[in-house]
Amino acid sequence: MQNVNYTVDNFIHAYKQAPWRIQMQWIGAFLLGIFGLALVAALYLDITSQAGIQGRNIQDMTAQLVVIQHTNADLQNKLAETTSTYNMEQRALALGYQPIEPSQVEYIIVPGYAAPKPAILAVAPALKPAAPSEPPEYTQSLIEWLDQQLRMPPAISMIGIAQ
Amino acid sequence: MRQEYAWRSLVLAGILGFVGVSIILQIIRIQNSPEAATFRRQTASQANITETYYPDRGEIYDRNGHLLAGNKTVYEVSVDLNNVKDKHAIALTVGVQLGLNPDTLYSQMMNPPDGVQTLVLADFVDSDKAAMLQQIKAETDKQAAAAGHASSLTGLGFRAHPQRSYPEGALASNVLGFVTREGRGYFGVEEKYNDLLAGNKVNVTVPTDPSKAVDIPRVPNGTTLILTINRDLQAATEQILDESLTKYGAQHGTIVVMDPRTGEILSLASSPRMDINQFWNYTSIFHNASEYDRAISMPYEPGSVIKVLTMAAALDSGTVVPSSTYLDTGALLIGGATIHNWDMQAWGIQDMVGCLQHSLNICMATLSEKMGAQNFYGYMNRFGIGHLTGVDLAGEAAGRLKVPGDGDWYPVDLATNAFGQGVSVTPIQLLMAASSVANNGRMVTPHILYAMLRDGRQYNVSAQYAGSPITANTAHTLSQMLATSLENEASGALVPGYRIAGKTGTAQIPTQFGYDSALTNASFIGWGPVDDPKFMIYVWLEKPTASIWGSDTAAPTFALVAQKTILMLNIPPDNIRNQVAKP
Repeated sequence: MQNVNYTVDNFIHAYKQAPWRIQMQWIGAFLLGIFGLALVAALYLDITSQAGIQGRNIQDMTAQLVVIQHTNADLQNKLAETTSTYNMEQRALALGYQPIEPSQVEYIIVPGYAAPKPAILAVAPALKPAAPSEPPEYTQSLIEWLDQQLRMPPAISMIGIAQ
Repeated sequence: MRQEYAWRSLVLAGILGFVGVSIILQIIRIQNSPEAATFRRQTASQANITETYYPDRGEIYDRNGHLLAGNKTVYEVSVDLNNVKDKHAIALTVGVQLGLNPDTLYSQMMNPPDGVQTLVLADFVDSDKAAMLQQIKAETDKQAAAAGHASSLTGLGFRAHPQRSYPEGALASNVLGFVTREGRGYFGVEEKYNDLLAGNKVNVTVPTDPSKAVDIPRVPNGTTLILTINRDLQAATEQILDESLTKYGAQHGTIVVMDPRTGEILSLASSPRMDINQFWNYTSIFHNASEYDRAISMPYEPGSVIKVLTMAAALDSGTVVPSSTYLDTGALLIGGATIHNWDMQAWGIQDMVGCLQHSLNICMATLSEKMGAQNFYGYMNRFGIGHLTGVDLAGEAAGRLKVPGDGDWYPVDLATNAFGQGVSVTPIQLLMAASSVANNGRMVTPHILYAMLRDGRQYNVSAQYAGSPITANTAHTLSQMLATSLENEASGALVPGYRIAGKTGTAQIPTQFGYDSALTNASFIGWGPVDDPKFMIYVWLEKPTASIWGSDTAAPTFALVAQKTILMLNIPPDNIRNQVAKP
């Protein structure tokens, strides 16, 4: 019985001390390190590329915004030219209208009628975002992002509990 | 055998290690080489660009929301001299499309100013022409790319930017002023409110690295202005002015329509006008700045229209009442000078209505004499004569009212000033002064700004009062006297269905050799309806030749403008209004 135990101990000892096993441990640790680095690098590249793409999108949209604003101004200007006093007068005359003479005007008393008030010309106030429009994803570094993720409290169930 | 493999492994590891170390050393060497420092400097210099964001100039609308001044897109056509491939092709293409001399363009490209990398070939190019040029460039680039070589138009660039545009052309040009290509406003509203309209430019440092995108600060556009002007009434007023100038052979003229209750200027026509989209024609149309808007910038001796103020002062000071009489002998000696009536005739016994109706100079001279210089000039001062009205248009002139104590004031001036000679005023001054008569004794400050729009909010401009030089009772009394005098006279200023108060003016024009009796300034000031004035109109025709008299020229012009004003403001006739008021 004692011999059997001795043999098993020797086998376990030999297994632990086997050279190929130590090599495997080193290789495993090395590969783990490589994998970790690759993971970090991939994550970094992914975030950086996304930030770059979004940044380029922002630049494109900013340029588009300027173009749209110019287009709007041009259209507004063309509309004003089309409806200018001179053009409207010419169109009215072409349609057979004539300038009214004071003697042609007939005023009628309409009980309860109130003349319309001047229109409010201002457009509705533009909505102002309550938070900065630039999300943190565009500004924070990878380390800051990791730090934020680590500090983020675990998700809490939002299901109410009835008593 | 194992030993041999071990050596091979060692050699291989050594070689790979050597290669690896060599690569690392090379990286370190390159990183620290002078070239690397140069590249780093270049990168740092190009990492950020400073961009200046110019706000779009605020628009200008009339009181009903019609655009009077806006912005349109124009293009700057330039060439990148560091990137240009074929200067001949660019010069020829741009020259043909934009109507420029290709040789000149080529010469400019061959001899650019020192330090210039981007040469501007043309600026303020219309969007249509720029679009045509851009299309040609795109097609040329496409063909060149298909052929595998660089495009001959490589280096040609376009930059869009706004330019002031006036869709109504010459309409209200005297009110609006204009903006030069440098972006500065001249005359009228454009100059007066230049800072508000232009807004504030913003400089931003923008990283070129897209991963470092920064928030572009919001650049608020210039403030948009809404004027008190009614576009349609403005057009009608200008048309009537032009027709009157032709009909009466007048050299120039001005017509102002104002709301006497608020001081809002509803229309302001002045001659000459110009298409302010082509502001560079200014110097060929106007000889000096005061001609741009005669209503506010050109003082003149108004003649009898000022009798409204003299009579107001006399009534308010208690010097006379409407029924007071005097004996008009046709001549009055004051300060060594003899005053005559306009017709050199004696009018006998006249009351104050007759005095106004017949526009008697001797009557007015008598009144100012009775009031005394201190009292008379005190009233003129309170009416704002000789002072700026504060109208919000650039280039207002104050006119001149000589007062006792001035080196060039003589006792006869007290008499002549009372009937509008020897004193210079602008039409806007007289409108403001007479608004006290039309507005229950309260004088309003004329203004052109109805509201401002900024950040989506509208800020309305409220009426401002410039004091009460006379009592409400005096104002009512004088309005009735003026209306009666017009009716008695069967004036050409009368408007059927509406009771109008007003006064004509015919003033000889002072020259180096005294007054020229052949040339006059014909004027008329009036308002209506008398019981509830909603408009005031001032007409000034300069040197009319068909007739020198204001009653023959300015008064009928007033009637035409009043009729248009009544139609456009939708003012019912007196009898209808009275029915509404007394149901």
